[in-house]
Amino acid sequence: MKGYHSPQPYPFSTALFSLALLLMLSLAGCSTSTVIDEYRRTNTQLDLNKGEKVVIMGRRHAGEYETEPDFINCISNKIASHGKLSVVPEQEFLDSFYPWFEPRVAPLKLKRMSRMLEEPIIAERVKALGIRYMVWVDGNTETTDKSGSFSCAIAPGGGGCFGFATWDKASIYEAIVWDLKQLDEKGRVKIETKGSSYLLAVGAPIPFIAQVQSDACKGIGNRLKGFFLHDGSQQNNPNTLTPEPQKASIPRSNSGS
Amino acid sequence: MEYMKITGHRTHIAYVTARLTLVIVSLLLAACSTNVTVSGDYPSALTNPLPYHVGLVLNDSFTNYTFESSKEQDVTVMLGQSQTKLFEQVFTDIFSNKSRLQTVPSPSTSNTNNLDLIIVPHMEEVQLAMPFETRLNVFEVWLKYNLQVFNSEGEPIADWLMSSYGKTQTRFLKSEEAALNQATTAALRDAGVRLIIGFERIPEIRNWMEQQELEARLKGTQEDAKQLVESGDQ
Repeated sequence: MKGYHSPQPYPFSTALFSLALLLMLSLAGCSTSTVIDEYRRTNTQLDLNKGEKVVIMGRRHAGEYETEPDFINCISNKIASHGKLSVVPEQEFLDSFYPWFEPRVAPLKLKRMSRMLEEPIIAERVKALGIRYMVWVDGNTETTDKSGSFSCAIAPGGGGCFGFATWDKASIYEAIVWDLKQLDEKGRVKIETKGSSYLLAVGAPIPFIAQVQSDACKGIGNRLKGFFLHDGSQQNNPNTLTPEPQKASIPRSNSGS
Repeated sequence: MEYMKITGHRTHIAYVTARLTLVIVSLLLAACSTNVTVSGDYPSALTNPLPYHVGLVLNDSFTNYTFESSKEQDVTVMLGQSQTKLFEQVFTDIFSNKSRLQTVPSPSTSNTNNLDLIIVPHMEEVQLAMPFETRLNVFEVWLKYNLQVFNSEGEPIADWLMSSYGKTQTRFLKSEEAALNQATTAALRDAGVRLIIGFERIPEIRNWMEQQELEARLKGTQEDAKQLVESGDQ
């Protein structure tokens, strides 16, 4: 037995371990958890006659954050659902009604909106553009925690990175649906999405990014679509585990990854 | 001969090195400075125009206004052109008639042009808050204007100090320049909001407008009375 060497078990087990670690990280790294609370005044779809449109608006009155315009565009595209619903782009709406919906003067409550609509010039423009529902989205996505570090170096012979970093992101948004014809609130959707991202650098940096904001957009977009289109909330919804019948005025939550 | 060749080579190498160093230093210096020419578009205001003819005085110091700061980092924001565009747009929308002027006209010229009001805006102050100062991922801009308002006789009516605010977040944008441009455009847009909604709420302007209405009504009554007298004579 002297002089006999097993065929190097260590490199194989190390490779296997690295692969398992990578797989685990990629699975964990790409995961997000979402909780949705939904409240509706009625369990039927909202009236939307021919020529009537929806506008999705972001709240930007708070000093410490503002609802991201790209998030609002994402929801608008989701709700438009390949042209099934007519959605007015946020910027187009803001420009058409300048200065009445700018952050400084935008109505925060429905009562103020009603008073605003008493102004003939504003009411006429609403009518001319066919705006029936206004959806206000308030919230933002922020990095809640980060740890680890990595560094990169370049030398004449080549370069590389080494290290490990992780960060957590949370998206918290609430959407409120206003009916501008009946001047009442039709419902609310609140979404909370969390996810962890990782960056592993051994030579080349390998990122595992959790799509937190994108998942929040999908979640809130699909729920809002359900307000206007039949079965909209169930379509392509990654957060719905088991479809359940819609109950009016009952907050509900679900989570998924 | 060989010695001269070597010396010539060395001189050439030193020359190239010096030029390269100069280029690198210039690039590094440019990398540490932010130069922005604000380019924003401002929509028409949805408002009922006030029935007055206004003369808007935009002088060179306003139309070519440039903000410069050298605190930690050199920042230059050229906002003269953009603020001129905004003020022209806003005053075209909030008054039924607007004339752009280079200087404050004399009372006789104002009367000839039938101007009711003369407005002279001045940029009082610009403040920036950039991520390297605040350690926040946000660019913020504050603008402070002083609007001097005169009547057709050239008498001062109001001196209105008006401030506006705009912000943006770096993560939306590719560069510091783009972020600063967006924050400044937002601040100018906010200035427009204050002008459109706030102008007729200035107490002195409101008093002046009430006085104008009263005078117009009085004039109307006098004309009616005159007509009545004339018809009675006939």
